[in-house]
Amino acid sequence: MTNTTTLLAWRNIWRHPRRTLLTIAAMVFADVLLIFMLGLQLGQYRMMIDNSLAIFTGQMQVQADGYNDEPYMYRTIPAADALAEDIRARTQLEAVATRGYGFALVSSETRTLGAQISGVDPQFEPRVSTLPGLIKQGRYLDGKADNEIVIGSTLARNLRIEPGDELTILGSGRDGSMAATVTPVVGIYESGNRDMDRMMLSMPLDTFRDVFSMGDTAHSIVIGGERERADRIATGAQAALADKDSLVLLDWETLMPGLKQAIQADFTSAWFMYAVLIILVAFGMLNTMLMSVLERTHEFGILLALGVGHGKLGRMIVTESAVLATTGMLIGILIGAVVVGYYLVNGFTYPGMEAMGERFNIPSVLRPEVSLRSLLPGPLAVFLATMLASLYPILHMRKLRPTEALQAV
Amino acid sequence: MKTPTFMLITIAWRNLWRNHRRSLIMLTAIAIGLWGMIWMTALMRGMVDQMIDSAINTLSGHVQIHAEGFLDDPSIERTLPPVRDNPALQSLLDSARVTHWSERIRVPAVIRSERDVLGVTLVGIDPQQESGLSFIADSVTEGEYLAGVDDRHVLVGRKLLERLETKSGRRIVLMSQDPDNNIAERGFRIGGVFDTDLQVTETSYVFAGIETVRAMLKMGDGVSEISLLGPDYRNLDALAADVRAAAGKADTKTWLELDPYMATMLGVMDGVILIWFSIIFVALSFGLVNTLLMAVFERTREIGLLQALGMPPANILIMVLVESLIMLLIGLLAGNLLSWLTILPIQDGIDISGVAAGLEWAGMSSTLLPAVKSSDVLLANAIVLVLGIAASLFPAWRASRKVPVEAITRIWQ
Amino acid sequence: MNNPAVICHKVDKTFQQGELAVHALSGVDLEIASGGFVCLSGPSGSGKTTLLNMIGGLDRPSGGEITVADLRIDRMRMSELAELRLHHIGFVFQAYNLIPVLNARENVEFVMQLQGVAAAKRHALAMDILEEVGLKGMEERRPGELSGGQQQRVAVARAIVSKPALILADEPTANLDSATAEKLMQQMRDLNTHIGTTFVISTHDKLVMSYAKRLIKLHDGKIVDDIAQQ
Repeated sequence: MTNTTTLLAWRNIWRHPRRTLLTIAAMVFADVLLIFMLGLQLGQYRMMIDNSLAIFTGQMQVQADGYNDEPYMYRTIPAADALAEDIRARTQLEAVATRGYGFALVSSETRTLGAQISGVDPQFEPRVSTLPGLIKQGRYLDGKADNEIVIGSTLARNLRIEPGDELTILGSGRDGSMAATVTPVVGIYESGNRDMDRMMLSMPLDTFRDVFSMGDTAHSIVIGGERERADRIATGAQAALADKDSLVLLDWETLMPGLKQAIQADFTSAWFMYAVLIILVAFGMLNTMLMSVLERTHEFGILLALGVGHGKLGRMIVTESAVLATTGMLIGILIGAVVVGYYLVNGFTYPGMEAMGERFNIPSVLRPEVSLRSLLPGPLAVFLATMLASLYPILHMRKLRPTEALQAV
Repeated sequence: MKTPTFMLITIAWRNLWRNHRRSLIMLTAIAIGLWGMIWMTALMRGMVDQMIDSAINTLSGHVQIHAEGFLDDPSIERTLPPVRDNPALQSLLDSARVTHWSERIRVPAVIRSERDVLGVTLVGIDPQQESGLSFIADSVTEGEYLAGVDDRHVLVGRKLLERLETKSGRRIVLMSQDPDNNIAERGFRIGGVFDTDLQVTETSYVFAGIETVRAMLKMGDGVSEISLLGPDYRNLDALAADVRAAAGKADTKTWLELDPYMATMLGVMDGVILIWFSIIFVALSFGLVNTLLMAVFERTREIGLLQALGMPPANILIMVLVESLIMLLIGLLAGNLLSWLTILPIQDGIDISGVAAGLEWAGMSSTLLPAVKSSDVLLANAIVLVLGIAASLFPAWRASRKVPVEAITRIWQ
Repeated sequence: MNNPAVICHKVDKTFQQGELAVHALSGVDLEIASGGFVCLSGPSGSGKTTLLNMIGGLDRPSGGEITVADLRIDRMRMSELAELRLHHIGFVFQAYNLIPVLNARENVEFVMQLQGVAAAKRHALAMDILEEVGLKGMEERRPGELSGGQQQRVAVARAIVSKPALILADEPTANLDSATAEKLMQQMRDLNTHIGTTFVISTHDKLVMSYAKRLIKLHDGKIVDDIAQQ
């Protein structure tokens, strides 16, 4: 494609400046919208994932095979603390914490409720979970073997207890034996997550092991760290599990399938919307290029009579479409980047987002993601669709015979 | 009357088909735009409807009455007197304004099988009254629904049954706390298993006859909640106000008040739909204005001729608007038809179980029923039509404002 | 019939072409009597088209006064001018005379429709006039299906059907062969004679000039010659 062709194409598309501007404006509109929405979506997903994982789940977990699907007490990780230490060494990551989970009847002086109990290692737990930082009253757990618990705010309210009160815990241990203890409450946390505040309490891991007859076992080893480094961390953790067949390393998608699928469902429905928008813009382009070809029938007749082939005319039209579509795409990306850049700095919010935010663990102010991943797909899709749309005028033009073309005015 | 309307329409109509390709492309774009509007809205409405349905169906009902403080602290101590002790409430609930109502007892409990222990909510129901009010009567897929208020069996969700590794007909033990703070414990046989769209429902609730639960908890004739359905989940304010007055010293709430998240979702959804309509319209309007401008531009000579012949500028404006109106109307007709044809085959729902867990997370089931609301369809049509005409004003105005000589210099030579 | 059909008094027209002011007409004084059959001739750029535009109210003069049908038209609003053209002036252009989406009959009826003539009446009038100009049987053809001469005859038929006092024609024979042109001129002359319609025709064509009762020659926006003819 020579410069002359491009220059000619450029001049041709500006024969009708208003039409060209409207066509470009339509593309720019779609581009900016797609960039904005995609950036916002990706930003939102990232926050949903990060915030959901940060509270309790972590980036990945080591568990006994089958525990994730059917969490029975007896599906444990043997010698869990040693394994956790091994993983820490291999991944050079401190954010590795051992946990045990159990269910028990929890009684205060006046109330009895069922609740989920987690045994945590107070030294490492704050590195994998934000929960220890969300204590609203009292303090978090201290020593690994202390007899104390922290409890969710709703559960505390329902049990009518405050820090300092004692709770009686009654459940069944790993071997089916009776598990019972009396423990003072030292702190109350409020995570904002309904289930966690309503259903959960945490006690130091060794105390938990004593009560629930766990020995040196645990139910999961939670691994935190940054999501960007997840692959490398996983490799290290996998190496530590090399000779342990009964254990598996689960990524967050397996641990929270709902989160991943919610994102997928949202993404799919969003692309349906985008597709409709892109098709409409492509139709606009189709119309413009068809007009521009039809009104030049006479001109094409002259060119054909002069011996310019259909192929060359076709390339000319393609070049015009390409110049138009590229101009639209570049302006679109530029303005789109400015728009998302603005919201990246200032944040974006809309009414009702607070309630949704609470439900989906996202803050009420969103910051869109600004990356090639958010900037390019929309405009590229618009570009491809508009280029595809310009094929029809070319097909139309190819049927042209010089004599009839010259008769057209 | 100097406006020969029929002539204007004739000219506009014929002009439209002079460049039939261009008009067809524009018509298609309008049709697809409208289709996108209607479809997307139907899907979004369907999702919200389902969330509402499943919220109402999962015990909330349209309006609920609880003892004061129960919602904050769902304990067995906080009970209401039974409805029969309150004649005003009884007659209101039995009136035509309420389609279903029932009393329930709701307590946190622990369920124990031979294999596992789990926390649940034990719900004591009146099986006859409950039927039609909540999902439970229609969801028993194995065994039998409860026979009466003193049926000695319990109904357990499918997923809970699997978790407990037990079977229908086997025994489980339920533990809870009676009003005197003593542990009440009692063995039951599983009489039936229920299946629901949401797993969380299957694992959260265990149902038993209301009198059986009262006996287990050694309580009097109090109830934890009264749930009722009106004719329509919207416009419940009047009914709720009357119930509130009749219930006296109690906590009366509509489902929207019980689930503020759902209320916000409804509001957000209306906003989202309006934004979506506007986006589609803007995308359409570029093409529409472009097409009309082209049509006006290439007819400069002709419009000059019409003016030279004495056609008033206002008529020329109307002529272009009529052209646009015809195009919009045909496009809308096609779009509505297309929407109808594409929604018809999936009226029974789209299976989206591939993302079931994600939908469950958002409180939805895995079959999506598109909900076509006539108000949405009307709004979509109205927006395209009214704003479409508005967008055509510029090209039409351009056409009418051409000083004749400009246009006619093309005629003279 | 006593008052002149057209009076131009010191009509000036200046076009701004970039920096340059082009004087298309300067100080044209002209009176055209009712029932006249006047030819405007002159080389390209002499101002005949501009003068015709002014008289037809398609353009406004830069200076001077123009009176048509006893109305001062140089200060009229666009909609008033449209009204004037509709009721008092018929036009025949060089080409593209007809509305392409309307057939011959509808084109002839068009002006009557604007005037609010009842459907039956205008239909009959249109059929009559088309027969008169020799287009019987072609009433339902669209312009694209008519020859150049036939199109011009439809244009004439449309111009005369509502019996305007004044018909303006610009190079009406430019695209016609001489036999067709002669026939067209003959018809216009007949209408002038029988009905008394005033004709103002701009032309290069010697044939057209030979039909004129009065021949006005323009040069550089001024009237240079004014000859009464037979």
